Amino acid sequence: MSQVIACYKWVADEADIRINADLSVDLSKAKGKISDYDKNVIEAAVQAAAALGGKAVGVTFGTADAKPSLKDALSRGLDEACYINAQEASQADGAATARALAAAIKKIADVGLIICAEGASDTYSRQTAPRIGALLDLPVVTSVSKMDINGNILTAARKLDDCMQTVKVELPAVVAVLPEINPAPIPGLKAVLAAGKKTVTELKAADLGADLTPRSTVSEVKGYVMNRKNIIFNEGDLAEQVKALAAALRKEGVL
Amino acid sequence: MAGIFIYSDKADITSEIIGFARLNGKLPVVLTLSEKDAQALRNAGADKIIVIKGQSEMIENYARAIAAVLKNEGAELFAVGATPRGRDLAARVAGYLDCAMVSDISSASYKDEQLICTRMLYGGAVQQTEKLSGLSVITVPAGKYEPVQGEASLQTLELQADTRVSVVETAPIVKEGVDLSKAEKVVCVGMALDKAEDLQIARDLANVIGAEVGCTRSIAEERHWLPAESYIGISGAVVKPKLYISMGVSGQIQHVYGIRDAGLIVAIDTNEKAPIFKAADYGIVGDLYQVVPMLTEALKK
Repeated sequence: MSQVIACYKWVADEADIRINADLSVDLSKAKGKISDYDKNVIEAAVQAAAALGGKAVGVTFGTADAKPSLKDALSRGLDEACYINAQEASQADGAATARALAAAIKKIADVGLIICAEGASDTYSRQTAPRIGALLDLPVVTSVSKMDINGNILTAARKLDDCMQTVKVELPAVVAVLPEINPAPIPGLKAVLAAGKKTVTELKAADLGADLTPRSTVSEVKGYVMNRKNIIFNEGDLAEQVKALAAALRKEGVL
Repeated sequence: MAGIFIYSDKADITSEIIGFARLNGKLPVVLTLSEKDAQALRNAGADKIIVIKGQSEMIENYARAIAAVLKNEGAELFAVGATPRGRDLAARVAGYLDCAMVSDISSASYKDEQLICTRMLYGGAVQQTEKLSGLSVITVPAGKYEPVQGEASLQTLELQADTRVSVVETAPIVKEGVDLSKAEKVVCVGMALDKAEDLQIARDLANVIGAEVGCTRSIAEERHWLPAESYIGISGAVVKPKLYISMGVSGQIQHVYGIRDAGLIVAIDTNEKAPIFKAADYGIVGDLYQVVPMLTEALKK
């Protein structure tokens, strides 16, 4: 029996981010959510675990704020979850995140497949899967739009810029999946209720024996403001507004 | 030798990163996986082009070997073109080196021997500045730097490939849609469109102004009204047309990320509070079913 790991991240909902007048970023009103693309990761792990006859285990590296993610993740069909609860997660870069996840995965027995998203909806760095592969020295397949598991062989379709590439790899392996890999269903009430009864293993930074310091230094975080004209044509009726827009486009010379 | 080591599976980006290295007074050393790619880059201003010889056709499979080369040669930076293959290779090399990496930089410049990089977070709402020192990795999107000229020396290097992942088949992508990234004008439809047939409203406008039709992620991925290549956003196409007109697009920041570099942004939507209006140069608050046909008529003249 082989276990399938779904790496997921609890992120601030970007819709709730406020940019202050001085361009400082206010996350205090932002609700947490499972990174959009990680919902597809969880679903892919549930399907892969069924194919391998093993369990689907969610692994997340977050601060104390990430606790509500567990019930959400488990309601999406995972059998168990492993929660690395560490304040270091708030400062983590790609290097520290991969080290934390790799250290936690090492503690889980008989891992056949590790699934990540290409990137998280906050940072979208697209580093986690390749870095975990390197740290654990496992083969890596990224940009996966479709995968099949047959015995111990995983066949994956990779969507690259210039071609579709079909590759195969013997498990264990690490894959990064694209959101199009599955539709990630919304969990039903029964699944939500069952989630509360599932096993969660909580690890602290000290349990990992991994260096969680970032390798790059963040010197500034500020709101990005697009300089746009923000002109709304609202004089007169719709016909006049459209006329004004058409005139503006002609004047801009973009037609 | 010190210097900036460079790889991209797209020759244009390789040339641009060579330009970045020269701009900063650094020696550019290019890695390629084929003699043909090396010849194509012969006059692109690199100091040296190293043709990798080994047992795999996938550049990603040389990550561990490339990490060792970077270390042994005392490289100061590995700069990789931000394409699917390139991002994979870059992050794997960073993993083997356990070093810092900045993905998809918006800008990069040297100051006091540190590389200062900016990149976007939260789909473009936030810009983060990171400082890198010591051997680090960055990925660089297309179109950031000017290519230069100058002849490079050529050498070959045998490297050990990781052959655990192997290619079974390669098929050209059947592009059902168009390459929006090169479109001069884009008309984009969003979720306020009621049914697939109504795409004709967008097509009529597009025909009159010579634009391509794009859409938001939900239109392609949930409703499947347009092919996946047609959706614009952080995980889809990033466009830079001189004119972008949206109809019924709310303007979530993942979508706005994909239109940030558009010359002129026009928004048409019923919801005056929709974030698209904050990202737009010109807007009309109104029903696309009324406004767009009128606009099409007005632009015919």
